Amino acid sequence: MSQNNGNNILSKLSDAMANAVEVAGAGTVMVNGRRRLPASGIAFASDLILTANHVLEREEDIPVILPDGSEFSSRLAGRDPGSDLAVLRLEKSVAELAIPASEEAHVGQIVLALGRPSPNGIQASLGVVSAIGGPVRTGRGGLLERYIRTDAIPYPGFSGGPLVDSSGKVLGMNTSGLSHGASLVVPAGLAWQLAESLAKHGSVRRGYLGVRSQPVEVSAAQQEALGRQQEGGLLLVSVEKRSPAEAGGLMVGDILVGFDGQAVTDPDELFVLLAGEVVDRPIQLEVLRGGQPTQITVTIGERK
Amino acid sequence: MVVSLPRLRLQLESESELLQGDQDMVNESNLSMDLTEAFAGVFESAKRNLVVVQNGHRGAGAGVIWRPGGIVVTNHHVIQRGKPKISLLDGGEFRAKVIARAKDIDLAILRIESPERDDVAFPGALIADSRDLRVGQIAFAIGHPWGQIGAASAGIISGLGSVPVRSKRGTVHVIRTDVRLAPGNSGGPLMNASGGVIGINTMIVGGDLGVAIPSHVVNEFVEEQLGQETFQAAM
Repeated sequence: MSQNNGNNILSKLSDAMANAVEVAGAGTVMVNGRRRLPASGIAFASDLILTANHVLEREEDIPVILPDGSEFSSRLAGRDPGSDLAVLRLEKSVAELAIPASEEAHVGQIVLALGRPSPNGIQASLGVVSAIGGPVRTGRGGLLERYIRTDAIPYPGFSGGPLVDSSGKVLGMNTSGLSHGASLVVPAGLAWQLAESLAKHGSVRRGYLGVRSQPVEVSAAQQEALGRQQEGGLLLVSVEKRSPAEAGGLMVGDILVGFDGQAVTDPDELFVLLAGEVVDRPIQLEVLRGGQPTQITVTIGERK
Repeated sequence: MVVSLPRLRLQLESESELLQGDQDMVNESNLSMDLTEAFAGVFESAKRNLVVVQNGHRGAGAGVIWRPGGIVVTNHHVIQRGKPKISLLDGGEFRAKVIARAKDIDLAILRIESPERDDVAFPGALIADSRDLRVGQIAFAIGHPWGQIGAASAGIISGLGSVPVRSKRGTVHVIRTDVRLAPGNSGGPLMNASGGVIGINTMIVGGDLGVAIPSHVVNEFVEEQLGQETFQAAM
């Protein structure tokens, strides 16, 4: 058969995807934390493995098998049933790191779902990003700020494994534990953030501000006063009594436009920012009060 | 306070890079057209070596002309019962003789019974080396799922490994794939990006996992069996 240009394109695409699997597979481990089928995990530090909470039936002596076949024991460092994430701490710093993608996933993007539920090599399936959504209430009483759905086949044992882009960078973590068995992907940015919190505190501490808000437009004049283009902000419609917001001096009628140097344009963004490492920290908030930018420092509480 | 807004950056870029963006769009659309043509090309040429294997009962499987002149490989379970008949996709129906069968690895070799035994009437497929496959590579299947003759599907190699078999072989190498397969794909080819046959589709597990017997295993079986056949013919 002659090799025409078309076949070269296909061969290039084929090799590129195999390379992506190889790159991402190096940071994908096998996690043997339950009686039934083993599951997968993502190395996000040389001694820390991100995996799905629902695949762990115990907290100690959890075998982790690296891509080269070597086995190391691990123990639970933290878990968050609400987002179905858990972090394991390896007895040694031996894992090759997975690389998170610098940009968020977008609908239509070609993706590969990876898993390592057996010691016989990496497994993968191909698909596209079908949808991006959130926040969504999960089956375990939690709230997932953001999620990705894909049509890549989630094989048994893929929970805890990565969803990667065509260069092998991690877009998120696959799990079937959040949506009644259907596969859902926790985006990498959120997963890494929560994983760091789990590694440090053993649980996810979510920040509490104590306001109700609704998104509003920021007028051209107000944008000029702000000194930047930002078309939306959050109008505070109530401030709870004895809340961090009240203690810090936030008032009904303020338009929240910035949080610790980040722009805030809708409630989801604020939600995600409050899920970061903010509890007990003084955070500088930027509000429009009477049309003028005002800086207010609030010590964020913990949401119980 | 410095605030970086992705939306803002996008707006700024969209003005200065409008022309460049248009050019990129054209290139990208050419690329996807080329890809689409390449996909179609693989399936078009694969049809020449694809056959329908009927076993005289209900249902039909697929088969590949493995060697020019009419040596066809299919699944054992496709020809398990009855006298097999083979038809080509561009017409022509032939009786076929079962030369060899291996239940353990679900393979069978047939010979098309026809006065013409040349490679023009029955061109052999391009057989690729399946020993250096990688997970993630593109995989194509063509067959007759649910009786739809010559239907194409595409995916990737999902896993490489071996499974135990009940014979002296002990285990056999398999290719796992996420290509959507259905009854009627059995015995048909799994192909790589160049259209080379890398395996024979054999099983559908759990509705979404296909298993193929790799070409090098098929080749060993064919060489072993055709050798015997020649020897018997010489007696």
